[in-house]
Amino acid sequence: MALAAGVVLALVAGRVTPASGAEASAAQVTRSEAAALYLQNCASCHGQQGEGVASAAGPPLIGVGAASVDFYLRTGRMPLGAPGQRPQRQDPAFDEAQILGLIDHVVSLGGGGPEIPQVRAGGEVRRGWELYTANCAACHAATGAGNAVGGGNVAYGLSEATDVQIAEAMLIGPGVMPRFALDDPDRDAIIAYVGFLRTAESPGGAPIGGFGPVAEGFVAVFVGLTLLVAVSRFVGRQTHEGEPESALPGEPSP
Amino acid sequence: MSGPTRSGFVPPAERRAERLVLAAFGVTFLSGTALLILYLLGGQTQLEGILLTLCLGGLGVGIVIWAQRLMSAEVKVEARHPIGGDRRRIAELGDVLTEEAGFTRRTLLIRALGGALAGLGAALAIPVFSLGPAPGRALYETSWRPGARLAVAGGQPLRPDDLPIGSLLTVYPEGDDSDPNAATLLIRIEPELLRLEGEAAGAAPDGYVAYSKLCTHAGCPVGLYRAADHRLICPCHQSEFDVLTGATPVSGPAARRLPQLPIRREGDTFVAVGDFPTPVGPSFWNMGGG
Amino acid sequence: MLRRSLRPSPGRGRPPSREERERAAGTADEAPPPTELERLGIWLDRRTGIAGVARTGLRKVFPDHWSFLLGEIALFAFLILVATGTFLTFFYVPSAALVPYEGSYEPLVGHEVSAAFDSVMALSFEVRAGLLMRQIHHWTALVFVGVIVLHLARVFFTGAFRRPRELNWVVGFVLLTLALAEGFTGYSLPDDLLSGTGARIAYSAALSIPFIGPWVASLVFGGEFPTDALISRFFVLHVMLLPGAFFGAIAVHLAFVVFHKHTQYRGGQARETNVVGRSFWPSQVFLSTGLFFLTAAVMALLGGLFQINPVWAYGPFEAAQVSSPAQPDWYVGWLDGALRIFPPFEPTILGVTIPSAFIPGVVLPGILFTIVAVWPFIEARFTRDDREHHLLDRFWEHPGRTATGVTILTIFGILTLAGGNDVIAFYFAAEIEALTNTFRLLTLVVPPLAFAITYRLCRTRRDRADEPDEPFAGRTPGRGGVALRRTAAGGFEDVEP
Repeated sequence: MALAAGVVLALVAGRVTPASGAEASAAQVTRSEAAALYLQNCASCHGQQGEGVASAAGPPLIGVGAASVDFYLRTGRMPLGAPGQRPQRQDPAFDEAQILGLIDHVVSLGGGGPEIPQVRAGGEVRRGWELYTANCAACHAATGAGNAVGGGNVAYGLSEATDVQIAEAMLIGPGVMPRFALDDPDRDAIIAYVGFLRTAESPGGAPIGGFGPVAEGFVAVFVGLTLLVAVSRFVGRQTHEGEPESALPGEPSP
Repeated sequence: MSGPTRSGFVPPAERRAERLVLAAFGVTFLSGTALLILYLLGGQTQLEGILLTLCLGGLGVGIVIWAQRLMSAEVKVEARHPIGGDRRRIAELGDVLTEEAGFTRRTLLIRALGGALAGLGAALAIPVFSLGPAPGRALYETSWRPGARLAVAGGQPLRPDDLPIGSLLTVYPEGDDSDPNAATLLIRIEPELLRLEGEAAGAAPDGYVAYSKLCTHAGCPVGLYRAADHRLICPCHQSEFDVLTGATPVSGPAARRLPQLPIRREGDTFVAVGDFPTPVGPSFWNMGGG
Repeated sequence: MLRRSLRPSPGRGRPPSREERERAAGTADEAPPPTELERLGIWLDRRTGIAGVARTGLRKVFPDHWSFLLGEIALFAFLILVATGTFLTFFYVPSAALVPYEGSYEPLVGHEVSAAFDSVMALSFEVRAGLLMRQIHHWTALVFVGVIVLHLARVFFTGAFRRPRELNWVVGFVLLTLALAEGFTGYSLPDDLLSGTGARIAYSAALSIPFIGPWVASLVFGGEFPTDALISRFFVLHVMLLPGAFFGAIAVHLAFVVFHKHTQYRGGQARETNVVGRSFWPSQVFLSTGLFFLTAAVMALLGGLFQINPVWAYGPFEAAQVSSPAQPDWYVGWLDGALRIFPPFEPTILGVTIPSAFIPGVVLPGILFTIVAVWPFIEARFTRDDREHHLLDRFWEHPGRTATGVTILTIFGILTLAGGNDVIAFYFAAEIEALTNTFRLLTLVVPPLAFAITYRLCRTRRDRADEPDEPFAGRTPGRGGVALRRTAAGGFEDVEP
């Protein structure tokens, strides 16, 4: 009942399409409540009207679009604990209703901007592999494990990203990530491939982080060589090293 | 340690060792058989590995315990013989080597032999030189020609809307995938942020700028892009190139800019004005030789 | 001595009766019948004349110490590589020709890949136990180089490379280099995105050599990178030329060990003039055989439980694509690290550009490897010691040598870690540039520090034993002076000095 009410409200408002897998809380957030949330949590860096605050390194929110707000709030990258911190994926600070309310509020500040993308399941995995390798693997790793990209920045691993979040990220280019203008089939294909990576098994055994030769080298040296040294000590146990020198027949004693 | 005595008595330590060896060999037998059965049933890599480990390990442990505890542990002493240094033999060798064999004191012949060997070396070099083409112009040129339209690999010519601001794509000459080293990055930036100089400024219309994708350090594709600070990064050795100033290297081991492909707008497409002005890819000793 | 019961009886048309045999033997109850093994030996000897050599060889005494087994383990790792590699060769297709992938790995189906990549995918997914064999092969390669380095360190720190073994050290160095080359050519064979990137770097390193670089690169790779010839050439190197060189070098290496006899630690009855240990047969043969199986067991464990080189995730090599992190296998990681942390130095001298990759990629490895290769001769220069040495030093007895070894290992260690600077930055939430600068500092500061500290520690330890003050000289070896000689009957007798 509450979910239906929430959906109707959102559709009537015409600004937000329901995010997949949403759990609406019993209470919706009113406009003023959302505005209050914004003032408490966002205005100090982004400005009361979303104009941005240069001293707090807070970019303007005018024109960022619902997709941006949805992405940053749902992945917990925003709000930051303090100005100038590096955004990191963490648990969202707000619940579903609050997020929807904040999205509405920010969008109401003006400027338009990309809407939350509608992702269709069943994208073509093969096309997705092609596009992912050409555009994404360099930063996010062929295995989707992620990597550092310099300047203290990180391209996160993709194991926790939802389909919508992937679509939003490609659309808005969060953080240092570039934007990618893909038509829907291509976008859905990449999402399908990331989904494949997320659930793919490692037929060879423990994937050791998906980091490649660095992790493999650690295993070879610290597991392989250690085992082999242990084996040597087991096999070659008997030795006279460390024994005091003893005389050979015919020698005077030491 | 030579097995049971005549009355059949085996000391307890030996018996324990025997039992260990038997157990180890038992493990080998069972795991080897299990491995074969697993294989016939379809196999599974991790289980195969574990069973193989047990099979080999059992054999190894059994043999080692057998050798260590059930075989003679007698320490033996063997003499060493001095290595070489036998004066008589060395003198004889010296005699043999210096026997006049028409070899020493014929300097002219020896010099001529040297020259002949040099000629032989020249002859033997020919199959070596056939291993690859002369470097020639290949290092100085790519397949970009004036008028070639920029297109994604195997795709249509690129349109400006394909690239929102803050985006980039890898492009090639339209219809020509023959030269992988022609790979070019087309990046779109806010035009007012670009700080190119001279001719380069005119070669990047409306904030669209094109650079070679091959790193000038060791040739890897410069596949990473930090859109927020306009830096291209090469994953191989972490060189960073500043897109705004003509892909100058600002961090890491690269010391040369990424060559910029001069382009212009032609209606709804982009077109190369000519080939890269400097060699693409890793530096070499005479890049000015082109 | 041939047992009388087996001597052929002259000129009889029928086999001797039991009575005749007993009469010939002299007594009825003497001389038990020959064992199976003895009969085999006699059968072989009558066809090869091997009895004399076998008797001496099987009696050879080998000193016992676990650290002497490291070289053996390296040898066994090589044999495992040959065995698993042969299996792989039956499936691998060394061709760059494009074929559509039609195997069971969904994302790649229909995509054009090289036949080489396709065959490795088939090995991994379609051939039963194929992935296990591939992974055992690759893990063994990684561990193989590590064991060689451990063995090299043991030989180095105990001074086992001194006369008469300097040449064998050089052969061992050649084996190390061959192992690196085998590994590099081997992991490039699947033609995947990661190893292809590494091949590009090798091409660029060759290219960077002044004057001859473009020629060398073109001749080795068959043209401008990327070439179709690369896969088939690496294949020939990896499967024929390098293994051939390996077999030859191993044969020389082992021949030297047999001829020189193994070194031994001091203690017990060990002297410069003898070898104290256990005889080859049966003790060492059985121990070595057991060691082989245990080594193989460790490799099988790694190969089955830990995924390595998942080429399906990297995808086939395409010249303008790249994935990160991008590192080579660990044993060449130091080279990658050197390339990463070396500053952007690309001067042009008299019209000749020295590319920024040249010094870290070609010159530095050249210098380090040369020092390692000729170390026995360098040390002999310093110590002015050309006596035969068969007793091993304790590492603290030669502070200069030990400190040098520790320093070189430290350099390689820091460079290897530097090769993973982006992964370290990711894992520890650090900044890549800060890490790179840290590694630069460490490379400059830590090796000299390591040298000084190691030297001081060794000197202190050595001086506690009241030895003369010479940094590179060792203790007077053994107690010397007593010589033993084998008699014709096989025993030992003293020889007056």
